[in-house]
Amino acid sequence: MHIPDAVLSPAVCAGTGVLSTAAVGYSVFRLRSSLADRTVPMTGMAAALIFAGQMVNFPLPFLPVSGHLLGGVLAAALVGPWAGCLAVTLVLVVQCFVFADGGVTTLGANILHMAVIGAWGGSAVMNAVRNLLGGDARATIIGSVVASWLSVMAAAALFCLEFALSCWGPLRGSSEAVNFDLARIFTLMVSYHSLIGIGEGLITGMVVSFVLRQEPSLIRPAEPSTHLVGAGRLAFAGCIAAMAVAAFLAPFASEYDDGLEAIGTTQFAERMEQERQGPALLSDYEIPLPIAGWKESPVWAKVSVSLAGILGTAATLGIALALGRLIPRPQIVPQPAE
Amino acid sequence: MTVESGPTVCHRLPAGLKLLLVALVIAAGLAIPAENWPAHGMLAALVFAGHTFAGIPLRYLLRRLALFLPLLLTFALSLPLSQGGDRGWELGTAIALRGSLAFLSMLWLIHVLPFPQLLATLRRYHCPSVLLAMMAFMYRFSFLLFHEVERMTAARRARSFGRTGFWFRWKVGAQVIGMLLIRSMRRAERVHGAMLARGWTGDVRVLEDKA
Repeated sequence: MHIPDAVLSPAVCAGTGVLSTAAVGYSVFRLRSSLADRTVPMTGMAAALIFAGQMVNFPLPFLPVSGHLLGGVLAAALVGPWAGCLAVTLVLVVQCFVFADGGVTTLGANILHMAVIGAWGGSAVMNAVRNLLGGDARATIIGSVVASWLSVMAAAALFCLEFALSCWGPLRGSSEAVNFDLARIFTLMVSYHSLIGIGEGLITGMVVSFVLRQEPSLIRPAEPSTHLVGAGRLAFAGCIAAMAVAAFLAPFASEYDDGLEAIGTTQFAERMEQERQGPALLSDYEIPLPIAGWKESPVWAKVSVSLAGILGTAATLGIALALGRLIPRPQIVPQPAE
Repeated sequence: MTVESGPTVCHRLPAGLKLLLVALVIAAGLAIPAENWPAHGMLAALVFAGHTFAGIPLRYLLRRLALFLPLLLTFALSLPLSQGGDRGWELGTAIALRGSLAFLSMLWLIHVLPFPQLLATLRRYHCPSVLLAMMAFMYRFSFLLFHEVERMTAARRARSFGRTGFWFRWKVGAQVIGMLLIRSMRRAERVHGAMLARGWTGDVRVLEDKA
């Protein structure tokens, strides 16, 4: 998930940098006006928690690598969208400047994908789902699973867009136009990320349901939607969902008449974050493994993306419903914190 | 993560200068046209010279590179794979080369710029103090929580008698994170109480920087 330096062009880095600086600034502004002296310890601890939580390995089927939590939605469920966004931002900054994980020039893009989409978008989606389903514990779990999955997909879609813009001639300063096929990169990314999204949804859902059983007051109650706030949040949630949907629809919008080979989609390549070996801490790397043998007709590219989408959606709903059922309902209606 | 080596001439440079140097190297890497191979080579020589002067062991560099390159190559390879043709290979190679250079210069930076110095530098450049306080807090407590995770996993392993089913490990992993969450939030409450007892009002006050 951490984009290294030099993958994105300077112009795109600058653009994402400005956007994420604005987002982080707005989060600081909102936090200052809300809960004064508790902000620093709570947000700092939430960041440390996400960081440490990423150490816990989850095995992947058929692959020698393991995956881990990303944490944007979990942070938002814990401390709200503004503090959650800051917490994930801090994790990314420290990973960049202390562990050389993720590039400096691409820090803005990384913050945009994981902190802003993860915490703001995740929180918006989660709230929308919770309010839709009645706001009890089951709705909370379903909301967190759906939000995790959507935020991963939206981040993948946004990355494709940035990647395409980076290779686009005019922005690179070269007159030579690169014939960049957005649809193909979408196919590759979306296939991977629908599976990453399932993993993230599963982990977040299980953690949220565990916490709801043990100490429900820690999960923030669904915010009642006033008209204006509700509308804005719904719009934001809609954007996130639309981006995720666009990721699936894009391959169909393309023309495959050029006769070039379709990319090797690797629908069965599972989540691909390889953990660092040895005694040292963190530093995790993502390895999409382009498994050979899927280089086939354009039709397969389309079919595989739809399959991945359907699989992902079904799995998300399944996880959400199953986790919701595990909870004994009467005891754990989330109470407001204070 | 710590590499044993005494302070070198690189460590003694002013913190701002170190940041500027790395920023310049990364920017230069991005700005040089992809076709200009000699310039990339000279940049690489510069970076390696920096590593030599900072006394960073070659083995450490190679180990980090071995872990980093698969990720970078994935990005680089996705271009020729998805776009095809010579142009895709050219772009991909450029990404691989520049990415490695930028990564190596970042490794140099994290080696010669300790975290407190980084914070002090950021403070001097007027980064919001709330953010810096959070960052310091997070840095302090992440190591505590790392150890807590290690202890919890060890205890869990001791109690599960070698049971390692696939689904079991997912369940246990989520429960470890959940438990960590509950404990760390309680800890944050305690720490907040202790901070209040020492006169915390929400403003961050620092002693004069000695960076």
